[in-house]
Amino acid sequence: MADVVFDQASRIYTAGAKPAVDRLDLTVSDGEFVVLVGPSGSGKSTALRMLAGLEEIDGGSIRIDGENMVGVSSKDRDIAMVFQNYALYPNKTVGENMAFPLKMAGVEKSARAEKVREAAAILGLTDYLDRKPRALSGGQRQRVAMGRAIVREPRVFLMDEPLSNLDAKMRVSTRTEIAALQRRLGVTTVYVTHDQVEAMTMGDRVALLADGKLQQFATPADLYDRPANAFVAGFIGSPAMNLFTVPLTERGVRLAGHELALPRDVRATLGTHQITEVTLGIRPEQWTVTDSGTEGIPARVDVVEELGSDAFLYGTLAESTGDLSDDSAVLTGSGQDAVVVRTGGRSGTRRGDRIALTPSVEGLHLFHPESGERL
Amino acid sequence: MTVTEATPQAPPERPAERGNARKEGWIRRAPLLPALIFTIIVTQLPFLVTIWYSLQSWNLVRPGSQRFVGLENYATVFTDSQFRGVALNSIILTLGAVFIAMILGLAIALLLNRAFVGRGIVRTLIITPFLITPVAGALLWKTVMFDPTYGLVNFVLGPFGADQTDWISTFPRAAVIVALVWQWTPFMMLLILAGLGSQPAEVLEAARMDGANGFAVFREVTLPHLRRFIELGVVLGAIYLVNTFDTIYMMTQGGPGTASANLPFYIYQRAFLGFDIGESAAMGVVTVVATIIVATLALRLIFRSFSAAEEA
Repeated sequence: MADVVFDQASRIYTAGAKPAVDRLDLTVSDGEFVVLVGPSGSGKSTALRMLAGLEEIDGGSIRIDGENMVGVSSKDRDIAMVFQNYALYPNKTVGENMAFPLKMAGVEKSARAEKVREAAAILGLTDYLDRKPRALSGGQRQRVAMGRAIVREPRVFLMDEPLSNLDAKMRVSTRTEIAALQRRLGVTTVYVTHDQVEAMTMGDRVALLADGKLQQFATPADLYDRPANAFVAGFIGSPAMNLFTVPLTERGVRLAGHELALPRDVRATLGTHQITEVTLGIRPEQWTVTDSGTEGIPARVDVVEELGSDAFLYGTLAESTGDLSDDSAVLTGSGQDAVVVRTGGRSGTRRGDRIALTPSVEGLHLFHPESGERL
Repeated sequence: MTVTEATPQAPPERPAERGNARKEGWIRRAPLLPALIFTIIVTQLPFLVTIWYSLQSWNLVRPGSQRFVGLENYATVFTDSQFRGVALNSIILTLGAVFIAMILGLAIALLLNRAFVGRGIVRTLIITPFLITPVAGALLWKTVMFDPTYGLVNFVLGPFGADQTDWISTFPRAAVIVALVWQWTPFMMLLILAGLGSQPAEVLEAARMDGANGFAVFREVTLPHLRRFIELGVVLGAIYLVNTFDTIYMMTQGGPGTASANLPFYIYQRAFLGFDIGESAAMGVVTVVATIIVATLALRLIFRSFSAAEEA
């Protein structure tokens, strides 16, 4: 049990090049489940490996329980890690794999067997203790890797995309199991994933990284409702938030020829930034769909994704004067006017239909057009 | 992960199709036939002829002495104490050279598996002994290294009182083993390096995270991973080294007496210096049969450990 602090921690692979992790500040409280998420190359795995002691800390420091970890080797950090490919010892049986950290810690053989039995019972591996890893399925191997981590009751668990080698169904069930296990054991956990669904469902708090820099560190709900910048807004949520660069007008902003009124205080804030344009974000579920010709921004539906419980419409916004008859001109999802809308399932909307869209005013997110910061 | 899938059942073949398949099989194999026939002529026929000779009493020094004696030569071979001594020499030379070369190769491979400046050059230099003709290598050890007067070994060990020691006649077997080890260490090193390269980095990292120090990582994780590579090196090295001739011929001529002779060299001595064709043929047959038995067992061991390839 311990808290983990990244204090301006940096990793620079080659001198002069862009740091893989750039002055990362992160505080993980005791017992907390924190997810590091980001696109590939964002430095999330590197940050985790720095905490594990598998990568140098080139600047700043990382503290576990107040102890500075710079120069401390992995084996002395008292942390356990679950690797993406599980990294089981192929020549050892499941039981020996799980007992290995205890053996290295000099725990007596009978005590080792006892702890392995306990962990195996929790993970449902009791029948497999004498098998070699190659005789196990992917999900079972994953559990052995978990078992190897939990038997030694470390201060911190690290998990590097532990679900990415499982099939989709297994991933969902294991996701819940890991989260439940972590709550039960109460061990501080840092979990890396590129999958924002995993991040949102598992973490107490989520740290979103891009280009080695921390973008936002908040609870999943905050991340969704109040993204700190346009990058976070675009990354979290599936399908992604619709982002438009729109001109400011007297009463608000103009989107596809339609003026959207903004509350007075918001306009006042915008006024302090001396900008003429703004990045406007609207989540797919924040649109109201009505029939063509009614009040709203006219749009054409290009693709309908029917998911059962709801449906996603991929369409193109039209200027009020614009002409949408030229079907071949637009590629779905590209360009300034592409829009994604969530509607209830079986809405009856078809490809090629004309509709009118109205965003809800509370659902508008405004970002600086250049820096991307939330306004 | 091994998933056993149901292989789709081939439809039952009709006789005409089977005939066609056989014909096609022969068309495909026919181009290999000359090579196969050639191989049989140069390897299997001489062996049959050797078996025939081994059943004769035939010494080239006494013309006209050739006559059929049945298994008498074999009886002589098995009661010949010199033959038993030479057989033991063969085992000592082969196993000694193979195991020492393997241990050194393993150590050097572990060192070379780290990143350092000039690694490529060092690796190339270490491989060179394997590229040198065995005869040249043996000559080098006999003259440049072990010569009692001018040899480098005595020059270096001189201050420690090793002055004027004739290493080759004092320790003939050890001297041959040293030359063989020098030549075969690079081969073992290359095999082990390949093995180290095939080890996933994640497993090593996992072991470090699990609290293992450098030696524990080696003993618990790396060595078990290298086991099949070590087995392969030992078996290939043994199969090759059991036939060593050139090194012994150049360095010791099997001497003093038969102190450093192995089976191939002793057979050569009996056949081409003693001219006893019958007896040396019998020895040859015994050696071949013994080698086939050992090699079969050893190869089976390799194939087993490689077919049970350890994934995960």
